[in-house]
Amino acid sequence: MNEEVSLAYVQASAALLDLPLDEAQAARVAAYLARTADMARMLDEAPLDVADEPVALYCPATFPESLP
Amino acid sequence: MTSLPLAAGPGSIDRLDAIARGEATARDWLEQCLSRIDATDDAINAFTARTLARARAEADAVDAMRATGIALPPLAGLPYAVKNLFDIQGEITLAGSRINRDHVAAMADAVLVQRMRAAGAVLVGALNMDEYAYGFTTENSHYGPTRNPHDTSRIAGGSSGGSGATVAAGQVPVSLGSDTNGSIRVPASLCGIWGLKPTFGRLSRRGTFPFVHSIDHLGPFAESASLLARVYDALQFPDNEDPGCHARAVHAVRPTLGLATQGLRIGILGGYFDAYATAPARAAVQAAAQALGATRIVQWPDAMLARAAAFIITAAEGGSLHLPELRRRADDFEPLSVDRFIAGALQPAHWVTRAHRFRRRYREQVLELFQDWDLLLAPATPVAAPPIGTEWLDINGTSHPCRPAMGLLTQPISFAGCPVAVAPMWPDAAGGMPIGVQLIAAPWREDIALRAAVALERAGVACTRHPQLQEGS
Repeated sequence: MNEEVSLAYVQASAALLDLPLDEAQAARVAAYLARTADMARMLDEAPLDVADEPVALYCPATFPESLP
Repeated sequence: MTSLPLAAGPGSIDRLDAIARGEATARDWLEQCLSRIDATDDAINAFTARTLARARAEADAVDAMRATGIALPPLAGLPYAVKNLFDIQGEITLAGSRINRDHVAAMADAVLVQRMRAAGAVLVGALNMDEYAYGFTTENSHYGPTRNPHDTSRIAGGSSGGSGATVAAGQVPVSLGSDTNGSIRVPASLCGIWGLKPTFGRLSRRGTFPFVHSIDHLGPFAESASLLARVYDALQFPDNEDPGCHARAVHAVRPTLGLATQGLRIGILGGYFDAYATAPARAAVQAAAQALGATRIVQWPDAMLARAAAFIITAAEGGSLHLPELRRRADDFEPLSVDRFIAGALQPAHWVTRAHRFRRRYREQVLELFQDWDLLLAPATPVAAPPIGTEWLDINGTSHPCRPAMGLLTQPISFAGCPVAVAPMWPDAAGGMPIGVQLIAAPWREDIALRAAVALERAGVACTRHPQLQEGS
């Protein structure tokens, strides 16, 4: 992610979240996000297929020992 | 200036036994700790609050119980302190922040503080940390940096820096901390003390201020491996009310410690864990490996990817947790971490979802590795403690931002949720400073990690060394 793209993304997404950022802070945040983007790219290349679910899923209730 | 006697020192197990026999009092031990804290904490800055009235009441209750002839619980009279993200009844849970000063005081103790109290331990106070646990150095801008007792110009590590420094300084023999990406193991390594990050889901986190719900762990620090194991056993408690507490039974490790490392298949992590270790860190691992008879090099699966996924999930959950305050009062956050929190809150959903999906595959790979091995060794930190304020770190010819780099070797392991004991080593190449070795076992096998820890301690290979702090230093 180049700096310009990262900065534009930060400003747009911060506005969407009602998160006020001045210019200097937006630039610093964009620098962090650009570094994270490099890590995300590595993960994008990891071999995951559609059956690879997240490690923990919502459980609606404890599984009953037996049904009433 | 006078050299100060240690309030905590090798021998706390003997002191516990002496209190149990009625040959020593909890109150005397407590007062020695309080004197040591008074005399040294201006230099160390480990404590953010002292619970003196409570501590004296708890110590006196132990002595009164002993006087009646009732058998004492296992930690009766043991002075300890907690990272200031643990709820302490009547105290505000700061979590290293300025913002939380506006919160009301805790109505009850955190579950692990309740466990310590039930075991007879004596709570002395609350300890400094990185704000909201987002850091590895405890260079806290609101409360000042916690300083390494072995060289006060250096960091104590973090985010549980106060918890590491107080034990290393001999102020108390035990403390509690939290570890999301390395926050117990990094300070244990840099301060030269024993630490335990249990399996993810082993110990209840209820009553602590969270950082990353899906990775947060709690655990103890101690001046000896034997004491660490004894405290860990007292902390175990299956807690149905903490959705992250998966343990459904207590697995006491103390009865197993005598087995040492007999029959264990022990390997040394190479690849990523060697590439990010400097010569002193490698020397620490070599010394531990030699003592444990380990020679084979083992490759941990996808360590770099695991660190990336842990980094992304940490930033996303941490950023989201604090978004309301980031909107209203970002200027009150720690300057060293506020931009990272904001960046985390803004991450695309795809990054976070992918990181969670990767974690499932990663778990399977890690569990497969433990089909062939019982215990794996790796350095806990790439280097010994750097000076406070260090921005960049050279690791084998490559420059890394210092603060995140301190967690390079811990993050992949906690992301898998494996239990890790840290053994304090003192390689010559580190110039008198400690570096810890991670003793890594399969999930739910804290017993193996602690058996190895006690074996290293009994062999005289790993130990704490309390510095000779001077009054007013």
